Amino acid sequence: MSTQFTAVLDALTRLRGVRASMVVDAVDGIAIDSNLQFGQDGNRVAALAGSLYRKACQSAQAAGLGGTGFMQLEADAGRLCILGGDTLVLVVVAERDANVGLIRMEMRRAAQSLA
Amino acid sequence: MADEVHQWSDELARDPSSLVFLPLAEALRRQGQPAIAQKVALRGLQRHPHNAEAHDLLARILADLGDLQGAFDEWDMVLRLSPTHAGALKGMAFIRFQQGYPEEAEQLLVQAQSHDDDETIASAIATVRKSGALGPGMVLIDPFSQPQHLYGDLLSPEQAAMCLDKDGLVLAGAYYAGDGQDVAQEIGAALSGVSDEAVRATRHLDIGAWRSIVFETEAAVVALMPAPASAASEGGLVVVAAVPDTPLGLLRRVAERCTTRTADWLGRVAG
Repeated sequence: MSTQFTAVLDALTRLRGVRASMVVDAVDGIAIDSNLQFGQDGNRVAALAGSLYRKACQSAQAAGLGGTGFMQLEADAGRLCILGGDTLVLVVVAERDANVGLIRMEMRRAAQSLA
Repeated sequence: MADEVHQWSDELARDPSSLVFLPLAEALRRQGQPAIAQKVALRGLQRHPHNAEAHDLLARILADLGDLQGAFDEWDMVLRLSPTHAGALKGMAFIRFQQGYPEEAEQLLVQAQSHDDDETIASAIATVRKSGALGPGMVLIDPFSQPQHLYGDLLSPEQAAMCLDKDGLVLAGAYYAGDGQDVAQEIGAALSGVSDEAVRATRHLDIGAWRSIVFETEAAVVALMPAPASAASEGGLVVVAAVPDTPLGLLRRVAERCTTRTADWLGRVAG
C-alpha cells in the first residue's frame, strides 16, 4: 500500500548504507509509515528514536537553545539519524560508514517536501 | 564540498596568486585537516602578506592545532592591518581566556561587541564574567580542585561542558545561558535517562555500543558522550555545547578531550 510518505522513504532508503527509514508522530512516537530492510519491530524503533529526540528537545529548551533540528546517535556498528518537525519526525537507521552528510541533506529535503 | 575543494585546488594550481586559497584552506579546516589547511594558508600568505582575512584564517587554523601563541600573534597582525576586525578580537579573547586572563578576555570581547552585534559575543562575555569572578588564572592553576571549572582550559568562551551522573545530576562543569544564569541542573534533569535510552536503542537495533549523540539546535550544536566508567559516573554523560557553526569533527574532538579530563578527575577523586 502506497501512502503520501512512500516516495520520500523509498528515496531515503536508496541511499548507500541506509537500512531503514520511517516517519514517526512527533508527539506520541508512533510509527506512521516505514521502509524497513531488516527484521526489526518498526514501532519499537520509532518509540526509542522519538523518545531520544524528545530528550534532546527538552534539554535544548532548558538551555534556551531554541528548536532542535538534526540529531545523530553513533554506535560501534551503525547510526541512528533523526530530523524533527512540528508534527512529524523522520528517522533513518544506517551503517556506521554511511555518508551522514548526504543522509542529513536528503532528510532535510524530505522534511521540506512533507511540510 | 569535496567537489568545491577539488575545483579550488585546480584553480589555485592554474593561478597561484589567486585568492581562492582562502575558501580552500577554510574548507580543509572545517573538514578536520588543519595541517593541510595550514600549508595552503601559508603559501597564500607568501603572495598576499597584507591580507587580513588570510592572517585571520591562519590564526584559526593554528588555534585548532593547539598553537595558541601562534594564533594570538596572527590575530595581532590582523588588528594591525584591520583595527576593527571583530573576528580577531574574539579570537584573541579566546586565547587570553585559555591562558587564564578572563579580565583581558572580557575587554577584548567588549571591544569586539562595539564592532559586531553578534549575539554569541554577549554570551561569551557572560561566560567570561562568571569565570572572572573566581579570580584570574584560577582555572589554569588547578582545574581538578574546582569541579565546576574542570573543563575551563579546554574550552573557548563560546563553548560549555559538563559531566552528568545517570540521574542527570551535575558532577562537574557548568552551563551558562545567554543571560549568565547557570542552567546546568535544568539541562541535566532534561537529559536524565538519555544514556539508558541510547543503550536500549542500540541494543534493539543491534548496532553495538553507543559512542556519541550529536544534535543541532538554533543556537548551538551539542555532543553527548558516555561518561568514563567509574562508580560515580556509570550511566552518566559528558555534555559539550558550542556555537552552531562549529565543525562537528572539532566538536567531537573537544568532547573527547573533556571525556579524558573527566576520567583523570574521577581517577583522582577515587584516590
